[in-house]
Amino acid sequence: MSQSLRPYLQAVRSSLTAALCLSNFASQTAERHNVPEVEARTSPEVLLTPLTIARNENERVLIEPSINSIRISIKIKQADEIEHILVHKFTRFLTQRAESFFILRRKPIKGYDISFLITNFHTEEMLKNKLVDFIIEFMEEVDKEISEMKLFLNARARFVAESFLTPFD
Amino acid sequence: MSAPEVHHLFHNPIADHSFSADRQTLAIARDTTVELYGRVGNAFKLKDELKGHDKTVTSIDIAPNSGRIVTCSQDRNALVWEPTPQGYKPTLVLLRINRAATFVRWSPNETKFAVGSGDRLIAICYFEEENDWWVSKHLKKPIRSTITTVGWHPNSVLLAAGSTDAHARVLSSFIKGVDARPEPTAWGERLPFNTICGEYLNNSAGWIHSVAFSPSGDALAFAAHDSSITVVYPSAPEQPPKAVISINTQLLPFMSLIWNGEAEIIAAGYDCEAFRFKGGINGWQLSGTVEAKSRPGLSEEREESALNMFKQMDLKGKVKDNTQLKTIHQNTITTLRPYETSGDAVTKFSSSGVDGRIVIWNV
Amino acid sequence: MSIIQQITADDLTDNWRRINIDALDPDSSLNFPTSSLHPPQPEISESDCRNLSSAVRQLLRGGDAEGALRTCLENPVYNGPDGVKEQHLGTVVEVLQSIKASEMSPLLKRVYEGEGGVELLDCLMKYLYKGMGSPGAGSGGVKVMTPQTTGFSQIGGGRNISSGDSTGSAMSVLLSWHEKVVEVAGLGCIGRVMTDFRRV
Repeated sequence: MSQSLRPYLQAVRSSLTAALCLSNFASQTAERHNVPEVEARTSPEVLLTPLTIARNENERVLIEPSINSIRISIKIKQADEIEHILVHKFTRFLTQRAESFFILRRKPIKGYDISFLITNFHTEEMLKNKLVDFIIEFMEEVDKEISEMKLFLNARARFVAESFLTPFD
Repeated sequence: MSAPEVHHLFHNPIADHSFSADRQTLAIARDTTVELYGRVGNAFKLKDELKGHDKTVTSIDIAPNSGRIVTCSQDRNALVWEPTPQGYKPTLVLLRINRAATFVRWSPNETKFAVGSGDRLIAICYFEEENDWWVSKHLKKPIRSTITTVGWHPNSVLLAAGSTDAHARVLSSFIKGVDARPEPTAWGERLPFNTICGEYLNNSAGWIHSVAFSPSGDALAFAAHDSSITVVYPSAPEQPPKAVISINTQLLPFMSLIWNGEAEIIAAGYDCEAFRFKGGINGWQLSGTVEAKSRPGLSEEREESALNMFKQMDLKGKVKDNTQLKTIHQNTITTLRPYETSGDAVTKFSSSGVDGRIVIWNV
Repeated sequence: MSIIQQITADDLTDNWRRINIDALDPDSSLNFPTSSLHPPQPEISESDCRNLSSAVRQLLRGGDAEGALRTCLENPVYNGPDGVKEQHLGTVVEVLQSIKASEMSPLLKRVYEGEGGVELLDCLMKYLYKGMGSPGAGSGGVKVMTPQTTGFSQIGGGRNISSGDSTGSAMSVLLSWHEKVVEVAGLGCIGRVMTDFRRV
């Protein structure tokens, strides 16, 4: 599995590094405002071509770059119903605590499970390569976390079933 | 070549910096204030703070002869700070713009300055004696998006401007009564206000981050967000240029560039270090970095276990786990300026970046 | 009562409070003409594209993979109907899949150092991203529309995984090309894919 994970993460890493070239840019539409252009979408010329990186149909990353902000959306692998529920719960848990996460977007983009919004103020405060590392680490950890939770859930189900069925032995 | 001089002033982004002519005073745009640093021995000490803007200060320029400082900010204003015995006295400039002011530069003869703005125009500002007031005239016509940068021609009439509509333009800023009629150049002969002498677009259309005329004024270089540097050699007025040379690099985009004589350009940006380009009308190429990579202390790599290394490669898609960049600047370089010159050649230049560092480099 | 109801009903249907009046101003930044960001591109019709793809196949059969790739990338479909764009993407992916992994790097280096090589690799990068963006076109020219699973039934899940595997292999080809192109043309290449308004 890791064999094909490496080029995928490598592609995400290089695309993110290239996309995270942000500068301070005040709004052209509203005076004295400075808003993430990727969310405001008021000036087409400062929005760049969105990039999709996909490992297969169920795992992909969408990067939407603009002059002062980028939006990264991740679709997490969901092979079956249990994983789907686990991913839903997990991302919900995170997005509800978005304010302590800085770069997390409260609502994912349609078709994706979780979205991040990085603005020029984030890249000014934090090191760019560390931000990229964070996203990559998140992507690998979340896969691991979900499969661990699934294993745990199965083990628990087996245990519960066993203890319920002992009286009939 | 001696080591570059590094001043780490604070941990905030430096939007722009400018040295006074005697290089004893350094002005820095930090958030909503302008800080003046004085040289004390080998270091820069905070001397004065100029407060007058209430939004991020985007650009700053000290006129070398008069010592006047001009600043502009996202609060739509530009201020001229006049040095007086009691300190700096601000004068508001009548810009008449409704969006952020993004970039300001004095013309070489110091009678005018140009302010780029998000209002899709450039305000050319000059002093009106009878009203005792800085007023402006707008360059508006073909500009369709925010002006990100401007650069003056040595004759103080032609102005190059770059904007987020991916065009670099050469315009005339001739103001009757302020400017003397300029000598004809390859860019144009008769130059009434707002004449468009050239309009250039790259193939892959990146926002323009920096424009600069060569020391003679007979060539224009600009850096765009598509990681390219383009050099334009005009032939004659109203004629297509003699040569337009674009160098698409493998690097991240450049934010700023300066000419060193007619045959070298130094550019820096998101790669956090400065690069040299060499060439002429027959072609340009990237010739290397300014920073020497063999500085002691940083070059030695940490010993790492093979297991850890493979783990890094496998899980994160990268080889090393490093917090510090190998370059002196730890974040994007936003401005390059000549620091010391001899004739047309630059012998030292200064750079400032998002990491709050000012570095003075030997060329 | 009835009047009030009528007004609220109008509100809902017309949605006039939600009209973005800025967009009606031709000078508004919303109406920036993005066509001014690139020179006009020739329109490519379906028959042009078909001729091109047969020429490319000819080259492939002759064993000239480099020539085939060059031909594809020298004639990108920037201006044309979506169907033609998809078709050309299919041709590019077909060429990419026919090239062995060991030949990728030397081939890319040759292309990069040749005339206009930077432009060609930028174009290749555009197709790599497009290929990853449209799962249907991943498997070699022939569009396989995999049925979207709606429910969470076991059968549906199973089918989804198997189709995921087939596109997965197509994606891994694109991903390994992506890695090789970045090695040769650097991050600037990705940057140019983003800034370029000539979209494939």
